[in-house]
Amino acid sequence: MSSVQAATNGSTKAPVLSVRNLHTAVATPEGSFDVVRDVSFDINPNEVLCLVGESGCGKTITALSIMRLLPTPPVRITSGEVVFDGTDLTELPERRVRDVRSERISMIFQDPLTSLDPVFTVGQVMTEVIRTHRDATKAEAREMSVEILRAVGLPAPTERFDSYPHELSGGMRQRVMIATALVLDPEILIADEPTTALDVTVQAQILERLRSEQQDRHMSMLLITHDLAVVASIADRVAVMYAGEIVEEGPVDELFSNPRHPYTQGLLRALPHVSRKRRELVPIPGLVPPMQMMPPGCRFAPRCPHALEQCWSDHPPHEVEAGVGFRCFNPQPF
Amino acid sequence: MKRIAARSIYTLIVLLLSSIAVFYAIRLSGGDAVSARLPASASFEEREEFRELLGLNDPVHEQYFRYMGRLLTFDLGKSLTNNADIFDMLTHHGKNSLILGAAAFGLVFAIGVPLGILAAVRRNSWADGSVMTFSVAGMAVPNFWLALLTVWLFASTLGWLPSAGCCSFKQLILPAVVLAMEGIALTVRMTRSAMLENLGQDFVRTLRAGGLSETSIIGKHVLRNAMVPIISLAGLRIGQIVGYALVVETIFGWPGLGQVLVNAVLRRDYPVAQFFSLVLIAIVVLSNWAADVGYTVANPRLRKA
Repeated sequence: MSSVQAATNGSTKAPVLSVRNLHTAVATPEGSFDVVRDVSFDINPNEVLCLVGESGCGKTITALSIMRLLPTPPVRITSGEVVFDGTDLTELPERRVRDVRSERISMIFQDPLTSLDPVFTVGQVMTEVIRTHRDATKAEAREMSVEILRAVGLPAPTERFDSYPHELSGGMRQRVMIATALVLDPEILIADEPTTALDVTVQAQILERLRSEQQDRHMSMLLITHDLAVVASIADRVAVMYAGEIVEEGPVDELFSNPRHPYTQGLLRALPHVSRKRRELVPIPGLVPPMQMMPPGCRFAPRCPHALEQCWSDHPPHEVEAGVGFRCFNPQPF
Repeated sequence: MKRIAARSIYTLIVLLLSSIAVFYAIRLSGGDAVSARLPASASFEEREEFRELLGLNDPVHEQYFRYMGRLLTFDLGKSLTNNADIFDMLTHHGKNSLILGAAAFGLVFAIGVPLGILAAVRRNSWADGSVMTFSVAGMAVPNFWLALLTVWLFASTLGWLPSAGCCSFKQLILPAVVLAMEGIALTVRMTRSAMLENLGQDFVRTLRAGGLSETSIIGKHVLRNAMVPIISLAGLRIGQIVGYALVVETIFGWPGLGQVLVNAVLRRDYPVAQFFSLVLIAIVVLSNWAADVGYTVANPRLRKA
């Protein structure tokens, strides 16, 4: 599958990160349930891959699985691989995973208010992150930090180095989080809904900054969002998640203009369009089934307008058509 | 800064009001200071004369202003019972109380915080269970009973430690532990719950994503966040220690301020009783003030408020 994608992307480079048949389960008193089920995707060099889907569809759990930051117990990886630089991250001992975090794969989180340690200054935390991974003096760490804070567009970075998170606005905090994530020049940045908690005007600035940093640093990015407008503005490729599975995955232009999976089609129809004022929004009927009651066949079948008999009993396999991978027995023209 | 200034003014007002309350309370509490000093055979005229001499016949507010005036010039007066200089009593017994109080206060945090961290990090393990059982017991057992129990066990039965007296290290151990016990128990619980609360915060995940070690995340970042409520209530621990010192010093025959105060009240020794009441009140009020300052310093979010 990865070779097919690489070919359609016009790139023959090996992916920087490959997620292979990842299953992540949550243990509950009623048993263990897959919140991420058989998820596979590649992140290629220099590309932005967007993971989209509704709240609770497993986007964040997928990202946390890659970083090995799952709240274990009750959530843990049950099978699958996360191959990075020839090693399976799911197999690494905690100590070695720590060396990867921030140094090679960084992650930023949704809520910049609660995601920063309130009793340490911006600089104290950045310095500690740098000195955990590198042999740097405090002065060198300070220099590195101020430089990256300036690069991500934080005003007065020298003063901000000594600020506490509560002294900063939401947008400034998110810039601090981005700066901390980028200070060691990682190969991959995972951004989990980085703009959701911010004002609309600040959202655009932060996205712009993420995009330019990604390009300047020749970094790959996995951006998690539920906002298709964000996807359209930044993604190279998109993976659509539903109920713990990737239902469709491919280059952004192809996927937006010619979606095959009824869920992707539903998401796009539910999107408001400024140019088409009067057009009514078409919601997807029904709700995501609770994880205790996942249908045995296609997980989207109960809400799907085109569901066949087969969709209720069999699980659709992963198919590829024109560089787009999807899981559907009955793909429809859009 | 504004917050600290406001707390300081508030503290001064509390001190002033409590000095008035103490002054009146001692005079309204019945009994007679004069009979503590004069022999029982003294005539009514002799008693009246002595009252006049001490100024006890003046209106209470005049006595109050006269007393406060002298306090401000550090003229503390003398005991009515044995003519001892109150300033000498303060330095002598104050030193003993300070040793005992500081030992107990130190034990509260030296034992309470590490046990609380252990219970939080090993949540739901046998270690957590034992620590929490100890904590419940420490809060439930009254200190006078614990005092008697420890004396029975360690002094009478095992003979490891002296049962009373002052001021060797061995004599310090039992009263300090008894005095600290409730504070230890409370600090364990507070540390555990504050650690658990902060371990669940989003910032912990961010720090993990930064590749920091669990030692640094728990021992530095989470602990520092958890210390905010613990520091802010440290002043209350001092208040508790001062209050319990009256009981514990009396049981263990530790010649500190608490013992002096208890004796002075029993003998209606006005100058001694009111001065040492004020001292103890001042310690409690000032330690609460210090706790407020400490809270402000420990919590950067309040520094500019």
